[in-house]
Amino acid sequence: MKVMSRKKWTAVAAVAGLCTAAAVSAVPDVANQPVISPKAMADALHVVMDSDRTVYTRQIVNRLVKKDKVIEASEHFEDDKALVLPAQMFRFGSELVAERTEKLPDVAFSYSLQSLWPINKQNEPKTDAEKEGLEYVADNKGENFYTVEELGGKKYFTAVYADTAVAPVCVSCHNDHKDSPRRDFELGDVMGGVVIRIPVQG
Amino acid sequence: MALRAWCSVLGLLLASVAGGGESAYVNLSGETMAQGRAIWLANCERCHGYGVAGAPIPMTPADWKPRLEQDQATLYRHAIEGFFGPRYTMMPPRGGNAQLSDAEVKAAVDYMTGLARHYINQQEQTK
Repeated sequence: MKVMSRKKWTAVAAVAGLCTAAAVSAVPDVANQPVISPKAMADALHVVMDSDRTVYTRQIVNRLVKKDKVIEASEHFEDDKALVLPAQMFRFGSELVAERTEKLPDVAFSYSLQSLWPINKQNEPKTDAEKEGLEYVADNKGENFYTVEELGGKKYFTAVYADTAVAPVCVSCHNDHKDSPRRDFELGDVMGGVVIRIPVQG
Repeated sequence: MALRAWCSVLGLLLASVAGGGESAYVNLSGETMAQGRAIWLANCERCHGYGVAGAPIPMTPADWKPRLEQDQATLYRHAIEGFFGPRYTMMPPRGGNAQLSDAEVKAAVDYMTGLARHYINQQEQTK
């Protein structure tokens, strides 16, 4: 039986190493390939946001406030030692995302909860696309709004999804609040919208 | 395929396209149904027409088949007193309109279950 010399082993190992390196470099960088459209990305983000909010509304607020009646949910949750309202939880999430994405330049998207009839003025639409989108989702229930807008010389894909009064507490809070500009909401009405903005090239 | 079956398919397509438009909410025969339809459109459609907060949609047979296995008295009670689903979905008492009488809520329930049966029958005919 022939035994390979050390030189031959070294040559074989070198060839194998080169082949492996070539194979690895030939594998496409899948993680950084742009294979999802801005619309699909926005839709996916919204599904996650809406599902999380729905779970909070059902499993926390409905269960503990409405069914078991062990705690209240209140806009003044700190003073009242109460749960935050579902809309507040959503807003706090968007604020934390904004804070965290400032340090993540590759994760350049933003979202916010806005309304044509906001209790807090800072939540009214600021761009034409936001206003058009909020009007569209209020007038075309069950539909989303998508557009491209240019802000500060940059292009953005902007999506607006209806925000609906899903619980009596949504209606009573908006109808009874001293700062609310609209007081005739009913359960199931579109009260505003979730605006998701993603930067695009071109 | 028989003409009736084609009409059923067309009806289902129109209903799904309408996405809650009034055309999807067929008129069912009888004065009580007409009254129930008016109450349902004014109070229930905002949620049940679109599945808001998990509300079962009458044009979606899968939503209503299991619910129609319960007796009508149970459905009346859920609508009048309110109801928590298995994963804490919540049907508010009287659909959130405390002004509705028991009779008005029952009429709306009769219309909604009639509508659900209408779409379930259509689906059966297309099989």
